[in-house]
Amino acid sequence: MITFWNDLKKYKVLLLMLTPAVIFYILFAYLPMGGIVLAFKHFDYAGGIFGSPWNGFDNFRFFFDSGDAFRVTRNTALYNIAFIIINNLLQIFAAILLFEVGGKWFRKIIQSSLFLPYFISWVVVGAIAYNLLNYDIGTVNMVLRGLGMEAIDIYNTPAYWPYLLVLVSAWKGLGYGTVMYLAAITGIDTEMYEAAEIDGANIFQRILKVTLPNLYPTVIILVLLAVGNIFRGDFGMFYNMVGNNGLLFSSTDVIDTFVFRSMMTSNDMGMAAAAGVFQSVLGFVTIMAVNYAVRRYDKDRALF
Amino acid sequence: MLKKSKMSMLALALTSVMALSACGSNGNNDSNSTSSDSSTPAANDASTATGGIDTSKEVKLKMIFVGPKPVDYDSVFTEINKVLKEKINATLEGEFLDWSDWAQKYPLKLAANENFDLIYSANWAGYNDQALKGGFLELTEDMLQKYMPKTWAAMPSVSWGQAKVNGKLYMVPQNNGESVEKLILYREDLRKKYNLPEINSPESYATYLKTIAANEKGIVPFEPETGDWKYHNLDRILLKQQNEWNMFDLDMPFAYKLDDATGKVFNVYETQEFKDLLVYYKDLADNNAWSKNVLNSKNDHQADFKAGKVASITHNNGTLGSLITTMQQEKSPYEVKLADINPDKKKSVAISTQNGTSIHATSKNVERSLMLVDLMQNDEQLHDLIMYGVNGVHYTPAGDGKYAATDKSANFTGFSNWNFNSPLNLTNEAFPQEASDLVKKWEGQVYHYSLETFVFDNSNVKTELANLGNVMLRYAIPLEYGLIKDIDKGIEELNKQLKAAGLDKVQAELQSQIDAFLANQK
Repeated sequence: MITFWNDLKKYKVLLLMLTPAVIFYILFAYLPMGGIVLAFKHFDYAGGIFGSPWNGFDNFRFFFDSGDAFRVTRNTALYNIAFIIINNLLQIFAAILLFEVGGKWFRKIIQSSLFLPYFISWVVVGAIAYNLLNYDIGTVNMVLRGLGMEAIDIYNTPAYWPYLLVLVSAWKGLGYGTVMYLAAITGIDTEMYEAAEIDGANIFQRILKVTLPNLYPTVIILVLLAVGNIFRGDFGMFYNMVGNNGLLFSSTDVIDTFVFRSMMTSNDMGMAAAAGVFQSVLGFVTIMAVNYAVRRYDKDRALF
Repeated sequence: MLKKSKMSMLALALTSVMALSACGSNGNNDSNSTSSDSSTPAANDASTATGGIDTSKEVKLKMIFVGPKPVDYDSVFTEINKVLKEKINATLEGEFLDWSDWAQKYPLKLAANENFDLIYSANWAGYNDQALKGGFLELTEDMLQKYMPKTWAAMPSVSWGQAKVNGKLYMVPQNNGESVEKLILYREDLRKKYNLPEINSPESYATYLKTIAANEKGIVPFEPETGDWKYHNLDRILLKQQNEWNMFDLDMPFAYKLDDATGKVFNVYETQEFKDLLVYYKDLADNNAWSKNVLNSKNDHQADFKAGKVASITHNNGTLGSLITTMQQEKSPYEVKLADINPDKKKSVAISTQNGTSIHATSKNVERSLMLVDLMQNDEQLHDLIMYGVNGVHYTPAGDGKYAATDKSANFTGFSNWNFNSPLNLTNEAFPQEASDLVKKWEGQVYHYSLETFVFDNSNVKTELANLGNVMLRYAIPLEYGLIKDIDKGIEELNKQLKAAGLDKVQAELQSQIDAFLANQK
């Protein structure tokens, strides 16, 4: 007990800095967990969240009976895996380039323009994409026609969409991730670079032998954190890019959009909660498994 | 500098978190304390106040409307409250849910059990669903007779019947049967330019669309309304009206024939009529009658029509009439006209729940709320105030059931006051004569049928309905917009998927409810 108080005193500044985050998570992550009970209830207004009657696993039926459960779950996971791998590779690449390129101003300008898309809302991105890609008056097709080529009907062809979505996601997330990796690179002890240079390492050797190994812990943490959300589709992105275009669902439907569409009309809170629980359980299992694997491989790199 | 701004950011974040948590806990307390006795106050009040109605205590009523807060809310509501205070010793405050996110907020208002007394309700705003979830107060015949005698006298009993969910009433519907049928608004100048025959049949309409597509570059022949439709935007006209079916608000893949006394329900997608229509649609799509990317378009079809980018749209009479009025007032260079492309078919009246008022289940001022609705529908002064604003400012009466718009009219409109529609309604003087004529013509063609007041209780098949809706969106919509090459294969796939999603179960449930309903009527 004494040590607890001593620790408290000793780390009071750090603990104080932690407080807002703790409060945030209690309010927005732990307290709402009570709402999970809704997944097993038939919601009515008079009963509210806790007073409504129980109905067992009925709320889960709509998702699994639909025959689409496997497809949307697979889509969600595959898209997120692609996003994690491609986005992280691009971000690391961009961060290293920015770090090695000289010129403070140049670096700042590039960094800012990379960051810009991060602030554009998905609604706007969706509108931009529609104006670029639509068949009749889209810029891309206008150019193609102008060059005497066939216009491509992107919005009615599911095959293009996985590439398109990965591209858009990479474009939008690049700046944010780059800044994080750039911070990690800037944090690397400069003496290492000096030593490498004295030993005659060229720029590529410096990157391969100094920068990348030092980035490794950051990469692992960021990937681990991302993996926990692997069964959560980025609703804003999928909904605004694809909308209610049924033709594209086969290759673009993720759990979140599927549930949104189903619930738009029936408005059933229990069913929506059930889908959320399903995603959370899958996410929990994944992150435990991946963390376990990382720990087996390298104990210090695991999250917990 | 940087440090300071970070501190203030942190402070801001903390305050917002605290504000949020405060709101949350208050809301919870409210719901806990009031929800337990949600049904009692009404019952008590009704039983104790047997004699005259006691209005000695002043009450503040709050009503939730859909649509943006009108610019002149303050001035008009001040006037309204003056009259209300005098008549029932109450004042009214409005809360407005913007069109952009009303669909999300509306259920939340009820779910969070916020403090309000009245709420605009409508079949398209999930009336049945919210009523079944217990969001609205059940209205008994006693309450209606006692607190809203004028409405009770004026409202046709069919309207009350249509507003019942499982035999219980949760809404005071509008008292002005408007037509639910849709029309086509098109560019008469373009029709004349190409010497096309008058548009009065599906065939002549198709000719018009194809001619525009072939000759007018930069004008889209037809643009659908955006939204989560499960059918083609023209299906109300070309499938429902053309074949004289009722299609359950075009929400499910079912229909029955209007003149079928047994009310036999069938799967729309298995009919020859649907297949024929697909051929019609496919032909139009192949001739570029609508954008190839129509499913992703987020354009506002009315705005595009007004701007001359679109050559025809479909909507109901009132909306299109207003659009014509606006275009004329703005001196639009285009000559436009309404077309009824199946003029001889049976027309149905909108069921009364198209617009209505519900009382919040936990309202503490039930009697005064009902009295307010009674006045708003039947007291000329209040009715005109809530519908058209202040006399002389927002409108001027033009006699003969008409009014003239003023330049301030736009400052008090655009929100859901339609629940107070009643025979006292005035029409805009500038409202196109042809639209009014059509209304009159249709009134003579209104077809009343035994299932008119039937309302489907979907609580047993919610899961299946959610899945059916998904299948319709994914397989039926692309098929109807002519994006699938092989129609036969498309229909086959659609029906296969519908079967897998539980079509038979929903059909059986629907049929059994209809049978029970019909048996009850005899």
